[in-house]
Amino acid sequence: MADPIFIAVAALTVGTAIIALEARELIYGAVALAISLLGIAGFFLLLDAPFVAMFQIAVYVGAVAVLIIFTVMLVRTQALFTTKEDKKRKGAGIALMLIIMASLGALMLSSGLNGQFGNFGGSQTVNFTQIGQLMVTYYAPALIIMGLTLAGAVIAALALARREDVEQQHERAD
Amino acid sequence: MATYPQNFRFGEFVGSLIWLILWILIIVTLVGLPLIFIVLFYIPLPPIGNQVLTPYLFLTMMVDPSRTIPIIHQLMTTDLFRVAMFPGFTYAALIAAVTIFVERKFLAKMQLRIGPLYAGKIEGIFQLIADGLKLIAKEIIVPSGADKPMFWAAPIMFVSTAAAVVALIPAAPGYVVADTDVGLLAVFAILGFFPLIALLFAWASNSKYPFIGGLRALHQMIAFEIPFILSALSVVILSGTLNLTGIVDSQIQSYWFIFFLPISAFVFYISSLAELERIPFDLPEAESEIVAGWLTETSGMIYGLLQLGSYVKTYALAALFVVLFLGGWAGPMVFPPQIQTPIINIAPLYDQQAANATLWFTLKTFGVIMLMLLPRGISPRIRIDILLHTGWYKLIVLAFINIFVALALIYGGILGPGGLLVR
Repeated sequence: MADPIFIAVAALTVGTAIIALEARELIYGAVALAISLLGIAGFFLLLDAPFVAMFQIAVYVGAVAVLIIFTVMLVRTQALFTTKEDKKRKGAGIALMLIIMASLGALMLSSGLNGQFGNFGGSQTVNFTQIGQLMVTYYAPALIIMGLTLAGAVIAALALARREDVEQQHERAD
Repeated sequence: MATYPQNFRFGEFVGSLIWLILWILIIVTLVGLPLIFIVLFYIPLPPIGNQVLTPYLFLTMMVDPSRTIPIIHQLMTTDLFRVAMFPGFTYAALIAAVTIFVERKFLAKMQLRIGPLYAGKIEGIFQLIADGLKLIAKEIIVPSGADKPMFWAAPIMFVSTAAAVVALIPAAPGYVVADTDVGLLAVFAILGFFPLIALLFAWASNSKYPFIGGLRALHQMIAFEIPFILSALSVVILSGTLNLTGIVDSQIQSYWFIFFLPISAFVFYISSLAELERIPFDLPEAESEIVAGWLTETSGMIYGLLQLGSYVKTYALAALFVVLFLGGWAGPMVFPPQIQTPIINIAPLYDQQAANATLWFTLKTFGVIMLMLLPRGISPRIRIDILLHTGWYKLIVLAFINIFVALALIYGGILGPGGLLVR
């Protein structure tokens, strides 16, 4: 019934995600998180979306996971833990997560989306050429707004970094 | 300490050899041959040509070399051959091995030295084998306090990641392990693993110099990743596809992209030098500053694996340069349409197109590899602030120049579908 590859990827993703939360060594947690993100890329590959999968790997494993590991290595671990682990809170968190996931799944299954996805079959896979064409035609305003937002964020980040730099030079001159 | 027996006699030595051969013969007859027959009789074999491969036919094929040709022909069409032999790991590792030897002799000639000389009589051609044996024989020392699982896993991850890049590169028409629609993106996604592995290995070594080297590797690779991708982007704009085979085909239909995108090729070359940690950018392994950088605590075969991985990566990036800018396997036909060999007729295995493509691809790749080795003989190491400045400010701007050139070529109707220069 279920695809064995799907089950293997799901087990890998969920298992490494649990390790990422529970690992005593922070660095193992970060590595497990990277593997979990790789598993998500595997889901995209299974869904016939290699373009998204490659970007998932390039951005999340190549950049985000590296940044997290970098931070974990450079920051003292004592500084990160201020609250003690609590059994009750942990149980409540797991219960809350299970309720949310179950209700989301129930919603998905009861809504019309279920049948709609079923009708797609394997024939209507969207490739990146179509995505690109839609990006510059129908979704052009959204693309422009996203580009402006990102440009604004980059300029703001540059401005923030710049000010700090100037202040440091000023201090050194004193 | 090996001690030699005092009463050494040549006759006893020959006797022990004969004894050994006798034992091998006994084992082959009692275990090997029955095993072969069990495999032959109980495992269904595929049809070769128009007859089913029976055990008797298989045995005659083993005796008569010319009859094994169909089996080899069958094997050459399998995925296993692609992965393990030709465009895959063996080919890449052979080129890597040749690169290591050629690099040593080449640098020696540039610096008026001799280089490897003694191993293998002629110009030291067996130096690599000697080095390999030495590395295998050496003890692997894991530093105390090192993170053992990561310390052992990182070199294997390094080699397998380099091999994964090789798997995406087409070496001849049809000869590619993974021919995906998003090949170029996949190459860059896989290249993104290298800083992670270097950093983890550096951290796992539990030593100061590797950690400094790992941080440098991370800075350097992330700084040069963006110009790297941008320089390849202009090729994608010109060819209109991310598939590496498609990129080569579009160059065969027009001209090599290096003529239209010289700046991109330059940026790609510099970025790949930085990605490979080769000499002007070898700060992560700067031997005069931080011992050996992130490789400081490596010994024995762990060092050997990391070296193999880095040279396989060199081949992969040189091959990628050839695929993106130098027209891949395009070149004038030099092979005859049919060949005659004296004893064994290997004509069924011969494919004129594939042989020619392989020849030109290998020649071009080796040329690019030589170009990547060249700075090691002539250039000093650059400072880290200059390195980061080059990566973030200069190369990104240069890459954008050629993206605009590529766009102008497409919109001016010179290249692209129905362009002036498209044959």
